[in-house]
Parts: sequence; structure tokens; C-alpha cells
Amino acid sequence: MKNVYDVIVIGAGPAGMASALTAREKGSSVLIIEREDRPGGILNQCIHDGFGLVKFNEKLTGPEYADRYVRWIDEAGIEILTSTFLLELIKDEDEFRMKLVSAEKGVFSLRGKAVVVSTGCRERSDRQIFIHGDRPAGIFTAGQAQAFINRMGYMPGRRAVILGSGDIGLIMARRLTLEGAEVEGVYEIQSRPSGLQRNISQCLNDFSIPLHLGRTVSRVIGKGRIEAVEVVSVDERMNPVKGTEAIVPCDCLILSVGLIPEIDILKDLPVVKDGKTGGIVTDDRMESPQVPGLFSCGNAHHVYDLVDYVSESGEIAGSAASEFAREAAI
Amino acid sequence: MNKLKKVTKELAKLGLGGDVQASEFRKSVRLTGHVGSWDEKVAAGFAAANRGYKGVLNDITVEGVGEEKIYRYDPGDRDLEGRYFDVLIIGGGIIGCATARELARYDISIAILEKEEDLAMQTSSRNDGMIHPGFAAHPGSKKAHYNILGNRMYTKWAEELGFELKRPGSLVLFPSRLEKYLVPLMKMRARKNGVDGHYRYISRKKVFEMEPNVTEDQQGAFFLPSAGIISPYKATIAMAENALQNGADVFLNCFVESFEMDGGRIASVRIGRGTVKCGAVINCAGNFADIIAELADDRFFSLHGRKGTECILDRNTGLTQHSILSMPRLIQRKSKTKGGGVVPCIEGNILLGPTAEEQPWREDFSTDRGHFQELLQKLDLNTKLSGSSVITYFSGIRPASWEEDFIIEPSERVANLVHGAAIQSPGVASAPAIAVDLAKMTVDILSKDKTVEEKTGFNPRRTVSYHQIETVEERREMVGKNPLYGNIICRCETISEQEIRDVLRGPIPVNSLDGVKRRIRAGAGRCHGGFCTPKIMEIISDELGIPMVEITRKGDSSPVLSGEAK
Ligand SMILES: Cc1cc2nc3c(=O)[nH]c(=O)nc-3n(C[C@H](O)[C@H](O)[C@H](O)COP(=O)(O)OP(=O)(O)OC[C@H]3O[C@@H](n4cnc5c(N)ncnc54)[C@H](O)[C@@H]3O)c2cc1C
Ligand SMILES: Cc1cc2nc3c(=O)[nH]c(=O)nc-3n(C[C@H](O)[C@H](O)[C@H](O)COP(=O)(O)OP(=O)(O)OC[C@H]3O[C@@H](n4cnc5c(N)ncnc54)[C@H](O)[C@@H]3O)c2cc1C
Repeated sequence: MKNVYDVIVIGAGPAGMASALTAREKGSSVLIIEREDRPGGILNQCIHDGFGLVKFNEKLTGPEYADRYVRWIDEAGIEILTSTFLLELIKDEDEFRMKLVSAEKGVFSLRGKAVVVSTGCRERSDRQIFIHGDRPAGIFTAGQAQAFINRMGYMPGRRAVILGSGDIGLIMARRLTLEGAEVEGVYEIQSRPSGLQRNISQCLNDFSIPLHLGRTVSRVIGKGRIEAVEVVSVDERMNPVKGTEAIVPCDCLILSVGLIPEIDILKDLPVVKDGKTGGIVTDDRMESPQVPGLFSCGNAHHVYDLVDYVSESGEIAGSAASEFAREAAI
Repeated sequence: MNKLKKVTKELAKLGLGGDVQASEFRKSVRLTGHVGSWDEKVAAGFAAANRGYKGVLNDITVEGVGEEKIYRYDPGDRDLEGRYFDVLIIGGGIIGCATARELARYDISIAILEKEEDLAMQTSSRNDGMIHPGFAAHPGSKKAHYNILGNRMYTKWAEELGFELKRPGSLVLFPSRLEKYLVPLMKMRARKNGVDGHYRYISRKKVFEMEPNVTEDQQGAFFLPSAGIISPYKATIAMAENALQNGADVFLNCFVESFEMDGGRIASVRIGRGTVKCGAVINCAGNFADIIAELADDRFFSLHGRKGTECILDRNTGLTQHSILSMPRLIQRKSKTKGGGVVPCIEGNILLGPTAEEQPWREDFSTDRGHFQELLQKLDLNTKLSGSSVITYFSGIRPASWEEDFIIEPSERVANLVHGAAIQSPGVASAPAIAVDLAKMTVDILSKDKTVEEKTGFNPRRTVSYHQIETVEERREMVGKNPLYGNIICRCETISEQEIRDVLRGPIPVNSLDGVKRRIRAGAGRCHGGFCTPKIMEIISDELGIPMVEITRKGDSSPVLSGEAK
């Protein structure tokens, strides 16, 4: 391993892997940093199919989609540092400098001419959508529930209420049902579902799981473990309508209420945050106008609904980063 | 006029003359009857307070308000059966733990009995963590006395016990020019109470130099430099750990259900895990202190729970403000927000809080939309804050007596019982000073039967066995010692596997997610455990040999998972 690279990619999800491959094809020296113990990002826990229709014209599962890229990365001889955490990222004159840590290497430093941020996103929590009532165990984000079931083999609950009709929530409704749990219903505050129509029909309708539009969870009930939620209808201004409350018994509440780009590692750089997407402002080559040489793609840029477009954004960023590094070298 | 007549007249003035009866019970006044709303009960309680009685027993029942089911968990063993301790402290909040630490100076056996699965689960982890300067408390009150002393003592306690203390000072903001005329009065009160530091008037210009992000309409401020902040639960745990190190014991999941009395003394304390004999008992049971007093047939006060909701903002907001910002009392009454302020916490987050709501429950820590919205109005004090930075919110309940002052005294009726009760705000700020007095009172009681001496080996310094790594340099050093300090688990707060394992091996048993979170901030960041919860559970499972499905969020009744998948 060197300690200077043309392009350093942070995050080995589909976005990061696509950008690394493209930068490599264009002749750059590339290193990928990944916090988890293997590449693939969130795809590793998405064992349902429906990935790659646009890109490969095939119906792949998440891990299958990721594996293709992992193989290509391997064939291209691109270095990946897994189980490695980025502690600090700064720009010093013409170079990016980073401090990282891993159990294997301890704390170490790297330098790169260009950096691609493909760190994905995190899920909004119950607190970020201002849920009130008690604070028992048994409230999960959909991704968390997915990790428990698909990666670790544990059930988050046996009788679920799902709040939010994002795709992950819909997919979890089906997954829980297949695992023998009861799904009381999906509650969506908006008047239309936010997930894909395909998922509404395949994940809810096929399993007779009710979708309640214009309704939300107003209160959580239960001291130790969750026992019930109170649901309520909302008016056009999203205010609860008195008299429409109902108590729904359950032993878990699963939230699929939105994703937020994860860009905390950029806190020491003068990037500008895009108030709408939650990512950083970039030009159409995915570069930050404030920090030349810094590129962002995938869900770290804005939340995409299909992985195929995530990969595409990675290619754009990887290509531009490679060019930037070449010019910087002259 | 006689005291009882006066109370009766006051009740009549409230229009409660027919519904509520006042009578004398020992040295206290007792209210009985039935009313239609909680507010009426509260009004009656206050009307009876400070009329020359020792306390108010407000036993009025309220339409629609039933019994509260109190949380208890009995692990099922009888490990404590027949054991003896010189002192049993009921309640592992900051008052109980500080007192244990003070008593550990003496050559006696001490045990803390706490009904929850960890220390500081109730009021002591549900507050602002402010070390008040001692300005707000009424001159001459116990609150003022202990607050001033406690504030002073914190410098040494923090240093000895290894918890963080900062003194950013508090700015009492003046929203209009009129408040400036109150400055001489404010100074007089500060002098009367004995507030430390160079408290002073700060001009509008200077306010903006100190706090550039404060909203423009502020016309000046009163500055109290001795105001400090701590993490109240870390401090509570540190106090207990130091007591433990000096020979004290902590028993969790121990709900005190009754006393065995013997000739005006408590002979033993009955808990699920056995009947424990004792030399003396200290009542530090927070919101349950009046129930404990009743168990010893020594009820001379009653508590009313005043709930406060607090809200924590993302750590990245911490840099926008240095001092604690608050509004003076006089103005609070008119404004929509009831007191509290905007507090830069010790960990770098900003805290908004608290609200104040009289309500019937002792441990209903739920939050609601209305009070939360009220809280968000405080965002207006700092222009850089917004609702999108909220990472969490919670509530706590202040154990208030009707006299609204602390009760720190030996029982008049039970020879070996001491009360540290009705410790509402500024209870955290006062804790070290309260502890010194409670310890003294207890030693006096024990001394009647045997000689109690200070131990020679008392070590006031806590041995720290776990902590959160703060800098890259420190991490470099620690990874050198153990590679697992390099395996980052909680990404928002940068906490490694080994930091979590160290917590799990700490002196007081921890096996829940919240127990870990209370000691180091794993899972307390902006993603709120979204990513790291499964990993922290795997570490708990591995380190303590507990199956994944038995790991809880906050004790026995709160398992995280419901079982294995098919
Ligand atoms: C739970 C979930 C379910 C989904 N289901 C579907 C679906 O069914 N169909 C579909 O088409 N799309 C789905 N999507 C959308 C699509 O899969 C994602 O948009 C896509 O995988 C995002 O790719 P990414 O590379 O941007 O991010 P990710 O896959 O999240 O990858 C980001 C990577 O960066 C790493 N990382 C982050 N920060 C750091 C750091 N500081 N240091 C080192 N490494 C870091 C992370 O560990 C992760 O491996 C889903 C998304 C989520 C969140
Ligand atoms: C919203 C809010 C904000 C506040 N802000 C501040 C502040 O900024 N500064 C300040 O100085 N003060 C503040 N306070 C006050 C402060 O938090 C309290 O005064 C202090 O925590 C009280 O400590 P305690 O040990 O008496 O009570 P607790 O921490 O409640 O401890 C009592 C313990 O006794 C246990 N217990 C009860 N019954 C039994 C039983 N039968 N058997 C066994 N165990 C039992 C309980 O489980 C509990 O753990 C605030 C309070 C609130 C509610």
C-alpha cells in the first residue's frame, strides 16, 4: 500500500465501487476505504430481488448486484481497505489528507489528489419525525429491522406496525409476513405512498396488508417493550384530526420515514449543504465548487430510489475525479 | 388566626371549601376530599403550604386519576436475605450516590438499594445538568444554602472523581431595557445567597461580543460566571463507583417494599431479594420519598411531580454558543416559555429545557406534542439553531414538596431514619453539599450505638476503568495497547469495540443498551443507534455471554428482539 493516491474513494457501496472502477479505467491509482468488513454497502442486507433492471436488464438480489462490482474491483486490482474508519479529512493546499484507524493498522494517514465521497445515507429516526409518548424497546428503523432479520437471523417483533411507505418499509412488511409475523398495517402521513407502485402491489397487496394513507402514529404506548401505538388521521396541514384516534396493539414499530445523506465526514471542509437533498452542492460532474477535487455520488449525494442510478452517479464522479487528478499532476 | 382556620379559608377562596377538608395530622396539615381536576388538587396543596405546619399531606383524590403501576423487577434470587449493613441508602440517584461516597469515608458497611436496573435511571438522568450559581433559589431556603455550597464543591469533586465539569457561566438575558433597572436587586439577591464569582451587568454590546448568535432583541444581561455544567448521570455513576471502590455496595433491581419496625427503629428492609438488616436508613428515593416515609409511618410531607421536557440538539450546534442562556424569572411569567434556557451541554450538544407541568404520575416519562412545541420556542434565543438539529427529547419529573424546598433532616419519629427528600432543582447542583449533611446525620445516629471512625485507606480519587476516547492522538496510543480500540462501532460518536467492552467490565454491572449509552455515548449520536445497535448487542452478547434475544434496552421488561427468525 502506498500512502498517496490519485483518487481515494470513501465507502464501498455500489456508488463507491462504480466510481473506483471508472477512475481506474481512466488510468488513475485508486484506493477504496470501507468501514464495514466487506464491500457492498447497504446492498448486502437487501436479499430481495429487483436490482439491476435498468443497468443489466436482469432481476438481481442486492448481494448479487454488489458481487458483480466486487468481482470487477478485484479483477481490476483495486485496493480496498475494509474495517477502516475515516477519522479526519482535510484539504491542505493541493492535496487531501486523511487520518484513519483500523484494528489492523492502528491510526494512519493517507494523501489523495481527489476524493470521492460515497458514504451512503442513514435513516431518519423516530426522534427526527417527532414521535411522542413512551420510549419503550421495540422501535426500529426499517434498515435496522432488515439487518436483524436478514443478516443476523433475529426477529424485531411478531406483530408489527409500519410507519411510512418508503420502499424499505414495504419490503420489510413482506419480509416480516414471510417470517410468520403479523403486519397490522402500513401508515403513511401523506395522501399517496412514497414507495414504488411495484412494491405496493408485490409487498402489500399480495399479502393483504392494509395501507392507511393520511394517517400517522401519534403516540407510542408501553413502558418496557412497546405494547401499542395510537394512530390518527391528519388534515392537509399535517395536523392531527381530533376524534380519529385509534389504538393499534403491536410489539414493534418499524419506521420507513426517509433517508438522509451521510456527509458528517465533510465537517472540516467548506462544502455547502443542499437544504433540499441533505447532501452537498455539486456541479453536474458531481464536484463541489467550494472544494475542488472533492466529488460526491450515490446516496451520499442525494437519496436515489434505484441502485442502477446510484452506480451511474458513481461513474460520473469517478471519471471526473480521475481527470481532476491527472490535471493536478501536471 | 389559627393555622387550620387559615388553611380552610384559603381553600374556600379557591372555591374548594365544599370538596376539600383540612385536618391536622401530627405536625402536618392533611387535605382530603375529591376534586374534578389535577389543577385543583395542586392549587389546594399550595394553599395549605407555608402556613406554619411541618408539611402538607395532600391526599385529595382526583376524578379520573387512578393508581399508578410502579415499575419493579425482582431477579428471583434471595441473595441479600439476612445480610446486615450499617447503612442502607434507598435510591441510586445523584443524592443517594453522593451520600454513599461521603459515607464511604467512614469505617462502616454501606449499600445502595435501587429499584431500576442501573443507577441514575430517574430524575438524575433527566435534567439539564446545570450547576446553578445559586442565584434563583429563595434567600434563606435550603435550596439556596445547599446550592451555593454544592456549586463550590463541584470543582474538587469533578477533579477527584474524574468527570467533566465546565463553568461557561450563565447569561440571564434582558429582552427589554426595563430589566436593567432590576440589576441592583439582582446583585443584592446574589450577595444575600452568597453566589461566587464576579457576577455583573453586561451591556447589549458586550452580550453580542460574548454570544454573537444570540437574537438581536436582547438589551443586555446579568452574567453569573460560576454557573457550570456536568453530565448528571456520568457524575452520579462516578460517585457510586468511587463509593464502591471504598467498600460500599450497590444492589440494582432492588425495590424496597416495606420495613420491619422494632421499637421506633427500622430493624430491616424488605426487598424482593431478601430481608436486609440495617443500622440506619437514608431515604433518597426521589419521586417516591413520601412513600418510603409512609412505610416507616413517618409521612409528614407529600410530593407532587412536576414534569419537565428537554430536547437535545446535534453536537454540531455546540459551537454556536458558549454560555448558558436564560430569561429572568420576572419575565418568564409573561412569556410562553416557562423558565429554563438554552444550555451548552458538557458533550458539545445544545440542550433546550425544561418545561414545567404539574401532573399526577411519579414515573411517566412520556413526552407530548404540546410541551415539545413549547420547548422549541427556546430555539429563538440563538439564531443558529433550528428544529432540524433535534436528535432526541425526553422528560423528567421533579419531586417537589408543597413548600417547594428540600427536606434534609433526621426523622423526628424513627430513630434511625434520615430523609433526603423533595430534592427538585437545583438538586444536582446541591448534591455534594446535601451528601455531606446526610452523611453527618447518619453517622450521628450510628454513633449512638458504636464508635464510627474515619477509615485510613479512603481514596477520594476514582479509578477510571473505561472512558470515551476524544482525540486522534489518544486513539493512536490506545490502539497501540489493544487493536480493538481501532475497530469503530458507533460512527456518529466514534466509539470503538474495546471502549464498549471496557464499560461492560466496569465496577457496576451493565448489560443493556441504555446502560452502555449512559457511560459512553455509543448510540447517542445523530443516527440514534440506527447502524450500531445490532453491533453493540453482539458485543454485549459476546462479552457477557448473554444470548442476543435476552439483551434489553433498559432492563428486564424491555428486550430488544422478539426471538429468532425461522
Ligand atoms: C435499507 C435500504 C434498502 C434498499 N432497498 C432497495 C431496493 O430494494 N431496490 C433498489 O433498487 N434500491 C434499494 N435501495 C436503494 C439502493 O440500494 C441504495 O440507494 C444504494 O445501495 C446506495 O448505494 P451507495 O453506494 O450510495 O450507499 P451504500 O450502499 O450505503 O454504501 C455506502 C458505503 O460507505 C461506507 N461508509 C460510509 N461512511 C464511511 C466512512 N466514514 N468511512 C468508510 N466507509 C464509510 C458504508 O459502510 C457503506 O458500505 C435501498 C436502500 C436502503 C438504505
Ligand atoms: C426536567 C428537569 C430538569 C432539571 N434540571 C436541573 C439542573 O439543571 N440542575 C440541577 O441542579 N437540578 C436539576 N433538576 C433537579 C435534579 O434532577 C434532581 O434534583 C435530582 O436529580 C434528584 O436526585 P435524587 O437522587 O433525589 O432523585 P432520583 O434521581 O430520582 O433518584 C431516586 C431513585 O430512587 C429510586 N427508588 C424510588 N423508590 C424506590 C424503592 N421503593 N426502592 C428502591 N429504589 C427506589 C428510583 O428508582 C430513583 O433511581 C432537574 C429536574 C428535572 C425533572
